[in-house]
Amino acid sequence: MADGTPPPDPSGPDAVGPASAVRPFLVTAGRVAAGDDGRSMPVETQVVATAEGLDALDLLAFERHDIVAVCRLPQSLAEIAARLRLHLNVVRVLAEDLRDAGQLTVHVPDSDLVHDASVLRRVIEGLRAVPDSRGVPSDTD
Amino acid sequence: MTPTEPAAVPAARSAAVRPPLPVKMVISGGFGVGKTTTVGSISEIEPLTTEAAITEVAAGVDDLTHTPRKTTTTVAMDFGCLTIDPTLKLYLFGTPGQERFGFMWDDIVEGAVGGLVIVDTRRLDDCYAAVDYFEHKGIPFAVAVNAFDGRVEHTLEEVRWALDVTDGVPLLVFDARERGSVRDALLVVLELALARTQD
Repeated sequence: MADGTPPPDPSGPDAVGPASAVRPFLVTAGRVAAGDDGRSMPVETQVVATAEGLDALDLLAFERHDIVAVCRLPQSLAEIAARLRLHLNVVRVLAEDLRDAGQLTVHVPDSDLVHDASVLRRVIEGLRAVPDSRGVPSDTD
Repeated sequence: MTPTEPAAVPAARSAAVRPPLPVKMVISGGFGVGKTTTVGSISEIEPLTTEAAITEVAAGVDDLTHTPRKTTTTVAMDFGCLTIDPTLKLYLFGTPGQERFGFMWDDIVEGAVGGLVIVDTRRLDDCYAAVDYFEHKGIPFAVAVNAFDGRVEHTLEEVRWALDVTDGVPLLVFDARERGSVRDALLVVLELALARTQD
């Protein structure tokens, strides 16, 4: 036990899995997401593969391939990053590339709309309908 | 109206897949206070973890220039989601690293409709940074005492006094493990956000 056991991760128990051996800046060819005051896309921004993107899937490699493939169904930037174990900012940069190439559509949420009373009311109503518990698993489908 | 078309038509073949409008809420509080449990209780997916870059503003004593140092730290962030209807989806993001002061979560929080600050009454000071942050940003938030084992060590009035939050900030007791309890806590925040739109 004494040797070979890595010390506990000080950042807590939520290990993300083994870090990629490839540095993020290599994946993005040195580019970074806007960040700082350049207003990077919100983490909940929705991304969807286009038909062109799915058609071109075989021509895409590595992260680009994986991102288009995982976006067959709409995904947030955060979900893409988590599912593919990529840094969020890498996903931001590559998603913009793929959008520019017509392989993804990227839907930055309209902040005014999100904060609109009618939207908030719909979220409230939807949440109110959530039952107290998930019910008995597998029995009550 | 042909009933033969199955629902599983490849989505991207249709002209344009309209993704849902994402509505974001932030779950905040000190380390180990129950943020991920809270997200997991209401999320339709197992909480996911991703790495986000957080800007840490350090007013270091060893800083000879006496200007605040900004460093970027990569932290693990947990989140989940709940589909309200095909056009609307609620996202819940746990803010990481808030046990330390000086973090800037703008990258995660920007655009959030509200926040829930989770408190463990045995370690009240762990949530000061989160309370300060939401107050500073003007984001509607509520303080939720997580009743571990049904025990709360301080009354809500004591908590309010200790945290120095105004009467406008709802204070409640909840159980992060109970779906209905988490739902009700989030509803308090959303009602507050809704009330703000009508001011």
